[in-house]
Amino acid sequence: MNRKWLVLTPLAVFLLLCVFLFKGLFSDPRELQSGRVNQALPAFDLPDLMEPQKRWTNAEMQGQKYLINVWGTWCPTCIAELGYLTELRERGVTIVGLYYEQGYDPDFGDSFNLGDLQQEVTDMLNRAGNPYVFNMLDLDRQFILDLGVSGAPETFLVDENGTVLVHHTGDVNPRVWRAKFAPLMGE
Amino acid sequence: MIPELGYFSLTIAMVLCVLLFIFPIWGAHTGNLRLMRAAPSLAVGQFIFVLLAFAALIYASLTDDFTVAYVAYHSSSTLPWYYKITSTWGGHEGAILLWLVMQAGWTAAVALLSKSLPWPLRARVLAVLGFLAVGFMLYTLLMSSPFDRLLPYYPVEGRDLNPLLQDPGMIIHPPLLYMGYVGLSVSFAFAIAALLTGQLDNLWAKWSRPWTMAAWGFLTLGITIGSWWAYAELGWGGWWFWDPVENASLMPWLVATALLHSLAVTEKRGIFKSWTVLLAIAAFSLSLLGTFIVRSGIIVSVHAFASDPDRGMFILAFLAIVVGGGLTLYALRAGQVSSEGRYSLFSREVALWLNNILLVVATLIVLLGTLLPMVHKELGLGSISIGEPFFNQMFTYLIVPFALLLGAAPLLRWKQNKAKQLVGKYGLGIVIAVVATAAWLYGSYDVVKPVTYMATALAVWIIVMSAQDLLLKTSQAGSMKRLGLSYWAMLLGHVGLALVIMSVALTSAYSTERDVRVLPGEQVSLGGYDFRFDGVKVIRGPNYTGHAGVVTVFKEGEQETVLHAEKRRYDIGMQFMTEAAVDGELSRDLYLALGEQLSGGAWSLRIYHKPYVRVMWLGGILIALAGFVVLFDRRYRRRSVKEAQA
Repeated sequence: MNRKWLVLTPLAVFLLLCVFLFKGLFSDPRELQSGRVNQALPAFDLPDLMEPQKRWTNAEMQGQKYLINVWGTWCPTCIAELGYLTELRERGVTIVGLYYEQGYDPDFGDSFNLGDLQQEVTDMLNRAGNPYVFNMLDLDRQFILDLGVSGAPETFLVDENGTVLVHHTGDVNPRVWRAKFAPLMGE
Repeated sequence: MIPELGYFSLTIAMVLCVLLFIFPIWGAHTGNLRLMRAAPSLAVGQFIFVLLAFAALIYASLTDDFTVAYVAYHSSSTLPWYYKITSTWGGHEGAILLWLVMQAGWTAAVALLSKSLPWPLRARVLAVLGFLAVGFMLYTLLMSSPFDRLLPYYPVEGRDLNPLLQDPGMIIHPPLLYMGYVGLSVSFAFAIAALLTGQLDNLWAKWSRPWTMAAWGFLTLGITIGSWWAYAELGWGGWWFWDPVENASLMPWLVATALLHSLAVTEKRGIFKSWTVLLAIAAFSLSLLGTFIVRSGIIVSVHAFASDPDRGMFILAFLAIVVGGGLTLYALRAGQVSSEGRYSLFSREVALWLNNILLVVATLIVLLGTLLPMVHKELGLGSISIGEPFFNQMFTYLIVPFALLLGAAPLLRWKQNKAKQLVGKYGLGIVIAVVATAAWLYGSYDVVKPVTYMATALAVWIIVMSAQDLLLKTSQAGSMKRLGLSYWAMLLGHVGLALVIMSVALTSAYSTERDVRVLPGEQVSLGGYDFRFDGVKVIRGPNYTGHAGVVTVFKEGEQETVLHAEKRRYDIGMQFMTEAAVDGELSRDLYLALGEQLSGGAWSLRIYHKPYVRVMWLGGILIALAGFVVLFDRRYRRRSVKEAQA
């Protein structure tokens, strides 16, 4: 290589690095990128939390834009966002609850009482607001795993074709809604 | 009033620094000696005003002036006085102010100790340092003043200093590290000044060398003490975490080490000129980059400082100007430099060239490992993390050729050596390293892993070759007294590194630990020692309460020592801190950390037996000493004598 070009290399490398440092300044290092975005929603076939004989699958949700909200009564942040989610429901947003039961692990032979859980959820939703059209219960957590959920609350935006548009970790609040969801809702 | 005076003196200091930049650079450009002559007084002047500003912050902290936001957030009235002083660099704003003090100090030192330099070079060096100071002062005054008030509503008590930082290691670690970082700005200034004057000859290398050595010595000491602090304070016996912030200090160190060696070649043989300049620019650039990484919050790290994009923007812009400017100048000027000397394959030149290559490769590995996760994410490829195994593996590969070369190089002559003679020189060392290490390790341990054996043998090889070289050079010089201090410094540095390699190898391979549940009176054995848990007593410090687990240590039935492993709760922040109890000897550390209280009067206790871990810091200190010993070498002393007469 020509010496003139050789001595330019350090500068070029440095400038390239600066571009990344600049971009890095404006992104949150703690935010993990989801592998699910722009992918099809994984297949699910789950019972309704309140009426376990009723089952929900991808086919039933086809053709509408909706949110899936992973939550649990044991998670304070989930409770905190119920109010705002309810407000969204009143504005016409369809929100499906995906209930994450933390205390139960089938591998350890834990016992589980559906009746108690239903009562607890009903009480909570009466108190804090009910944003959900319905709640699904994923007891063996297969769907939750497929979605790549790392903790509750997490919220997914799914479009008419069943493609995931947004995977948000943490609570949904007006700021997050405006920045991440609203542009894709056609609002 | 005092804090306002501090802010005001900093403003004055900045005005002086602006002049320190403009006068000499203009003077050197137009050949105006009067303008150039103003530089040293300006340099000393700004140092005095920065010191006043720093004193003002210390005063505010010592007098518990919680109307000052910085003091309210980083100190408290119950903090012992010495931690009140160190709290002035325990937070972001104060740390930057400390950086400024160091910057101003180095600048003043250069101004006072560079009297025999030709004026155009001296003026430009000081101008570059003035420019750097302006950047940092602007940042302090505009974006991160430690003198801001919390008026009219101020707290009656401060939030206390982070308990992690309430440790003697933390008193000296940041200042030493900053001395190193900032000291490298002097090498940078010399390189830029040499590029500006267009005289990339042996002279600038000769002048830049002692400054680089001193800065490197401080950096080494800072890193060593940082490692010791992490070991003693974080409570799980680790001494290096490959944390981005640690990497940020390791990168400039690696490049500065390469620079030291390259400077020697440039000074003595007149080759590697443009490479040396590039290293000098790179060493300080990496210091700045490290600051950017730590201060901008761009990377998640255990050293969680407040992240603020505006501050990040400023530092990035400053980084772009300083480093981008330096590298542009390099691209314009360095292409014209040509080397004079000639040398063959078996020569010291080639050995040092390889040393540089290996050190730069090591730096690139750390740089990549630190920044790749961020780059990967910004490219939209998803989040990845690069951790300890990657770095450990890479450094294991690199240390082998590096250590082999390090043992061999001092015995090589400049220009060329005959291959046949080399066999005679090295044969004995190889045999001793292989045999003695085998005898030692297989004699002491049941299992010896190949990697442990190899690393230990490399360390022994370096020590044997250093001894052989010392004998040879002594006989050549006639007596040991005739050997220069820079030669002793080299030996110290090399043997120090050998000790570090040996310690890392042995402590990684043979450390043992136990996590136990103990009732008072129970006994646990580990590494040939018996630990009797005598119970827990309540302790009360100036700003914390807690428990101390009392453990009596026995070896073969005889009492060895009594250790107090503490668990403290700091009154103000309510944080829990584990204060490990360490009984240290060169050959082993016994390290105890008290865990949680369990049911039935039992406690959880973690016990570590870490062979030779202490040797690592001893090695680090020896390496650092090398940087300071060389400053007393005759050739630098003679210069100061001449100055005194002049």
